[in-house]
Amino acid sequence: MEKKLFLTRSDLAKYPFIPEAGKYIESLEVKIDELANADLEPILTRAEARVEDAILSNTTGKPSHQDDVEISSFPIAVMMVAASANSHIKRRYALAEAKRVSTLLEDETEEKIVAVARNFNWDIKAVKFNVGSLTFDFALYFPYFLRNAANIQDEKWKLANRLMLKGEVYITKNEASRLLQEEVRRYIEGKLNIEVRALPQNVMERVERLKRLFTEMRGKIQTEEIPKEVMIDAFPPCIRELRKSALAGRHISHVGRFTLTSFLINSGMTVENVIECFRSASDFNERMTRYQVEHIAGGRGSRTKYIPPKCDTLRTHGVCPGMDENCSRIRHPLTYYKRKLRTMKTAAETPTVPRE
Amino acid sequence: MNKIETKAFVQEKFAEYYKLNSASIDPPSSLVNREFAFLLFKERMMLRHKGFENAEDFRTLLKTVVPSDVYYSSAHYEKPEEEMEAKGWLGADLVFDIDADHISTPCGKQHDTWVCNNCGETGRGTHPEKCPKCKGQKFDDKSWPCEKCLESTKREATKLFDFLTKDFGLSPQEMTVAFSGHRGYHVHVENEVVQTLDQVARKEIVDYIVGVGLEPKFHGFEEDRASTLEEAGWRGRIATGMYEFLRNTSAEQFKKIGLKKSVTNLISQRDKILESWKSRRPWRPDSVGSESWKKIVQKAIENQSVRIDTVVTTDIHRLIRLTNTLHGKTGLKKIQVSASDIERFDPLKDAVAFKEGRVSLVVFEAPEFRLGDERYGSYRNMKVELPTAAALFLLCKGAAQVQEEH
Repeated sequence: MEKKLFLTRSDLAKYPFIPEAGKYIESLEVKIDELANADLEPILTRAEARVEDAILSNTTGKPSHQDDVEISSFPIAVMMVAASANSHIKRRYALAEAKRVSTLLEDETEEKIVAVARNFNWDIKAVKFNVGSLTFDFALYFPYFLRNAANIQDEKWKLANRLMLKGEVYITKNEASRLLQEEVRRYIEGKLNIEVRALPQNVMERVERLKRLFTEMRGKIQTEEIPKEVMIDAFPPCIRELRKSALAGRHISHVGRFTLTSFLINSGMTVENVIECFRSASDFNERMTRYQVEHIAGGRGSRTKYIPPKCDTLRTHGVCPGMDENCSRIRHPLTYYKRKLRTMKTAAETPTVPRE
Repeated sequence: MNKIETKAFVQEKFAEYYKLNSASIDPPSSLVNREFAFLLFKERMMLRHKGFENAEDFRTLLKTVVPSDVYYSSAHYEKPEEEMEAKGWLGADLVFDIDADHISTPCGKQHDTWVCNNCGETGRGTHPEKCPKCKGQKFDDKSWPCEKCLESTKREATKLFDFLTKDFGLSPQEMTVAFSGHRGYHVHVENEVVQTLDQVARKEIVDYIVGVGLEPKFHGFEEDRASTLEEAGWRGRIATGMYEFLRNTSAEQFKKIGLKKSVTNLISQRDKILESWKSRRPWRPDSVGSESWKKIVQKAIENQSVRIDTVVTTDIHRLIRLTNTLHGKTGLKKIQVSASDIERFDPLKDAVAFKEGRVSLVVFEAPEFRLGDERYGSYRNMKVELPTAAALFLLCKGAAQVQEEH
């Protein structure tokens, strides 16, 4: 083990989620019941600002000059967001804090980044490694890379596009900061899902205010309605292929069957009609098919209605037959369907202009 | 003997095996956290959600139930006997399955047969898209493990092992390689950190090994640049793949991947290109266009990647056959292979579980096959007397029935 890096109090103010900050906060002895006290007002105000700015602009506002206030305001803000019991606010707040951290980390030394990363048990070390025209700053054990990179949607974050040697993925400083953003976001989201016991009146008032702010801010939510009628012409290539195979009774892989069924169900097709699609299969068994289709439709067991896998996953399992021009703009077969429906609708509504 | 009796006969043989060998059948690590499943001979039904406190209870069940196939969960659960939703997933071993079904093999699968469900037309190899006679699209397939198929899967397993050690840094102690008892190999990874990875992360591991979504530009392959042979990860793998492809490919094969004008230049300058790759920087002659070059890069990736069953590895609740138990489709056992020994490993010999006795049977149809050091078949509606292993192999495949003794 390398020598332990000393984190200053201003470091704790920047990264208040690390255990040392927790210990420090304990030593300040801020008790929940005392939050009604006037001298703790600055902490409360800063905590509220953290959340308010997260809601309004995806940031966490201007840090307090007093490290004590800055450090303590974090757990209070977390408590307030948890008390809001609103999953959208929770997600927004966690992301804003995580982004703040990521931006700060970009300017830190390698040693400090390692210190923060090791708080999350990352197996990471600072290196200087040149290959081709690239310079890497860290070597990170691949499971920690995957845990955080697998959800980032860019080809450069695919493991298949990384340099990996003996289990270590080579990354730059900016990339390390970006990965830590994911880690911090998940960590904070976890913290926000705790049960909060009753908070003092003055704190609850602030929580209510934040909730109102969020509702105003969000305005009217626009949900894309899927029409009742199933429009086969708007199906993406993968679903068209799968459906063709099913109707012809050709063998379809397990992933393929799941994809087709969940897609059809989500496009509004009835369970009966979905079952009909599979009738030509050589091993068709109505009872089994019904059971599986109903399960995917959310009518049995777990009661979850399933959606088809993402494009990326379909590629992995060889279900994707290749993209058409609309596929390049989407990442999910259902998005393809919704978009195509929209363009079809627009096309139908646009009056044809006689040529002059 | 009719079908039922044949089944009873096979089960009787399996019972003998488990009676004699159960002591050598070790349950998996973390026994109490695993779910077990047994495919039952008579009912053809899966007995699932079984848990065991100790190895002895498990072995007793093997001897009393005598299943046709024995599986355990790659996942570790808090309560393995509960329903799926209540099991409490703790983690899962990382598992790879390499099966001849997923590989095009040099034998062309001529030993496999298909029957058209509609008109009864039969044929060899993988079934066609449409029946040549009635244009039907539904078929019943019968597959055989053959030496060439198994050689191909072994090669894939060796490639996979190389990826897992060199790129993923897994140690041989964390991995077991095993012949499945039928048409391929399993590679099983037990590593504390890897165990916790979810499906999304495992998909990324799969994509790395299969080369899905891999962009050569991230590995130093662009218009005028290429990585060198000794570099790490995919950089070196693509370079090696290109080198080998350039070295071993005939004009005919170059054309097959879509090369046209470049072919003559590639052939005439081959030695010079290869020399540059070995000694200095990889060199592409100007007379070979960048589009042709890209096709060679793609071919290199394809050749270097491993054909694994993508579903198995991304499934974090998968059931896996237990080592040293019998495969219900062959009567062979799943057997562990040490990675250093895999070249010498002979699945059709080393996985033979029955070494004594002979059985008389009627074989309906079977291609030529080898088991141990002997070759058998081909057979068509014949009475034969075979060593137990060969007889069970045919019986398990449904290609024969036991001949009544008078």
